Amino acid sequence: MADHTSRHDELIPAYALGALDGDDLRELEGHLDAGCAECRRQLDLWQGDLEELAASVPPVEPSPETRRRVLRLAGVPAAAPPPATPRPVAPRPIAPNRPWRWLALPAAALLALTAWGAWRLASLGEEVRGLRAERDRLAQQTAALDRELGLARADAERMAATLAIVSAPESRTIQLAGLGSTPGAAGKTFVDPKGGRAVFYAFDLPTLSADKTYQLWWIAEGRPVSAGTFQVDPNGTARVAVDRVENADDIQAWAVTVEPAGGVPQPTGEMVLKG
Amino acid sequence: MDPQPVREIELMRRIGAGDGDALAEVFDLHSPVVLGLLSRILGRRSEAEEVLQEVFLQVWMQADRYEPERASPRGWILMLARSRALDRIRRRESSRRREEEAAEDRPQLRAVRPVGTERLEEVERRSRIASALGVLSPEQRRCIELAFFEGLTHTQIAERLEAPLGTIKSRILLGMNKLRQALSA
Repeated sequence: MADHTSRHDELIPAYALGALDGDDLRELEGHLDAGCAECRRQLDLWQGDLEELAASVPPVEPSPETRRRVLRLAGVPAAAPPPATPRPVAPRPIAPNRPWRWLALPAAALLALTAWGAWRLASLGEEVRGLRAERDRLAQQTAALDRELGLARADAERMAATLAIVSAPESRTIQLAGLGSTPGAAGKTFVDPKGGRAVFYAFDLPTLSADKTYQLWWIAEGRPVSAGTFQVDPNGTARVAVDRVENADDIQAWAVTVEPAGGVPQPTGEMVLKG
Repeated sequence: MDPQPVREIELMRRIGAGDGDALAEVFDLHSPVVLGLLSRILGRRSEAEEVLQEVFLQVWMQADRYEPERASPRGWILMLARSRALDRIRRRESSRRREEEAAEDRPQLRAVRPVGTERLEEVERRSRIASALGVLSPEQRRCIELAFFEGLTHTQIAERLEAPLGTIKSRILLGMNKLRQALSA
């Protein structure tokens, strides 16, 4: 057992308060670890004083929601509502043989019931608001997920279509090279002659102003046939699915030109890709 | 022992045995003063309510660790609350930010329960501690409050108040002893 000295009496109050640090703290903790019963006794006494200090602040009524959450998390199924009226400090003496004392009981019960009803109504109102907010949030989430699902489905369909063309037994690949002002651009067309379908990818093409469009052509027997118009994304890439390719075996070349928005029946603008 | 503490100790025993009604009763009994303390320490009402919830869940989980011979149930719960609130404060990014927020939010704390609905003994206790605090010098009181409500140590208080460390130590020691005398008078 450690010897208790007046030095420890001086350290204990600050220790109880949590203010002790440095060498003082190490010294007292060493002493406490040695099992000083007097220090323990004094700490408990200080604890009582600090309880008073803690309780010296003005009380703040918690929200019914906090109470409900605590009891719900603790698994209390249907907790009684908090008392809506102040608890009496001491029971009020009721004089015997007074007839109104019997009236006081139903009146008090009615009062308590009314208070409970008011509390319950307020609490239900809050619950309903909370549930509505939750419902709206979930509806927004559902809509966002629906949109994502729609995009994912469209992606999956595109992938499946491309795969069907690329993996067809007689599928052909045509490389398109950049021309003129876009020497760095490139393109690739996959054609399934039997299925009469093709898919075209463009890479590194510059974005166009709103009044212009890229137009894809195939050239058969010296005659260009439009396969559709397209714009590129900010990375300069694009994908064009061509659902009906006629006489694919006769196609001599694929090309991309820059045309007025909406496209034209015959190419008029600069050719940027050919292969 | 007074009947009220005996009853409160019994409630703690029941909570330890998993009695949810006892938890509801202890919550109704002590949550306003605990929330008062948390609001004083944390400043922000919403954060104080969040910690209040954690404190009572801790009471629910650990009531069997409560030792009646060492503290009253209220004292035990208040010290749990103080410890949790100070942990929060220490986790906050900077003390400056905390002070700004506390200053902004402090008016909300005026929404206290009217005195008429409080238990009379609570009002009496508070007035007793208020007069006990009144016997401290403003410097002693400030040092004790910085340690208790803000979790500062001797050295940190000396830095905050730009005062010598020895002065702070003696202010706290003298202040605590005065407080003890005033409370036991």
